[in-house]
Amino acid sequence: MNCDELKTQLESYLDGELTLSDKRDVEEHLNDCTGCTQAFDALRFVQTQVRESDYKKVPASLKLNIQNQLRDVTGEQTRRAGWFTWLGVGGGGMAAGALATWAIMSFVLFSPLHNQFADSIIESHISALMVDHATDVKTSDSHTVKPWFNGRVDFSPPVKDLHAEGFELLGGRLDYLQGKTVSALVYKRRAHIINAFVFKSEDATSLTTPTLMQRHGYNLVYWSKDGLEFWLVSDLNKKEISQLAQLFIKT
Amino acid sequence: MLTRKDRQRFERLTLPHLAAAYNLALWLVRNPAEAEDIVQTTYLRAFEAFHRFSGNSAAAWIMTIIRNTAFTHLSKNKRSDNLVSFDDVLHQHAKPLKNSFELTPEETFTRHATKVQVEESMNRLSTEYREVLFLRDIEGYSYKEISDITQIPKGTVMSRLSRAREQLQHFMQAQQAKDKRREL
Repeated sequence: MNCDELKTQLESYLDGELTLSDKRDVEEHLNDCTGCTQAFDALRFVQTQVRESDYKKVPASLKLNIQNQLRDVTGEQTRRAGWFTWLGVGGGGMAAGALATWAIMSFVLFSPLHNQFADSIIESHISALMVDHATDVKTSDSHTVKPWFNGRVDFSPPVKDLHAEGFELLGGRLDYLQGKTVSALVYKRRAHIINAFVFKSEDATSLTTPTLMQRHGYNLVYWSKDGLEFWLVSDLNKKEISQLAQLFIKT
Repeated sequence: MLTRKDRQRFERLTLPHLAAAYNLALWLVRNPAEAEDIVQTTYLRAFEAFHRFSGNSAAAWIMTIIRNTAFTHLSKNKRSDNLVSFDDVLHQHAKPLKNSFELTPEETFTRHATKVQVEESMNRLSTEYREVLFLRDIEGYSYKEISDITQIPKGTVMSRLSRAREQLQHFMQAQQAKDKRREL
């Protein structure tokens, strides 16, 4: 075997794809030829570099999401993991752009109870838009909306003025979800309407960490705070609906 | 209709390859959130097509769907920079890169390539090149297996792999030289 012949075989030799006799020929040549040995070493060095590059850890949420997705297909009960800590959407995350933010928020957890509830939330959201009855009290003034709920519901939903953050308050209304009266705050971002449902939390152990959920093309975020449960629903993208959730929690 | 039993069998076959699937997706699209999306889509698609699974290698089957999903995703998002293969371009129109036979001793590695240098160099490779490198050098698939996964002829796998390494070597040298100049 001469140097030219070796060149054509070297890569296959490196990859262990040669027959035994070809392999022996290559090795014999390499024993005698410094030039080719150098070339081989360089090639092997590149391979080593690739091999040593880190195998990235699989996010814990990914496996669970997959398992739940599969259970959705078979119609089985979905698994519920410990609620993930919400790392926050703002700050440095924003600079990395929409996708990075998405990563933080994409802890898609489905439990049958929540799926059922989410469906009624979506239904309510859609019907309010369809009959053009998004608001009972139509005003962008949060100070008007808040007292409007007094006496209509036995809790006081926090009404935020988020105009400066790009979420325009359209007003509020009462709604009924699975037998209970809830308050709905209506916000608008560009052409997207967001319904924020607020009601008294019955479950003492309900989650305090915001969770993003995608269902039938809608994005939902839900969490509970100070005895109230919050559900945001919209066709708005994940990033912006998450942003709204964070504004709700922060301010 | 897929049953609980199907799901259990599917999980037993495919979930052990989740890390490989995620890492291949990550190598191809270079974005963790997109990679997660691709893996989720892949597993769902695979499960829905479970009855068509031949039963040979679940890993290779998952890898095939991952790469197809990733390439579709890239072309949909018009990440064309990743889609142009340098295979032909380089060898027809441009001066070929030096391979290891033509390097002067000064040009060979100082053997101290840092992790960052390697990673940056790898990021400069085309998606097709990263793909074959991953399947061969990280996952250890044979030429034939890579050919099956990527649906490209074995000869093309070999030349792609060879050029990928050549280019990687070239990029690493350039990176080292750049870093050295910066130090001075």
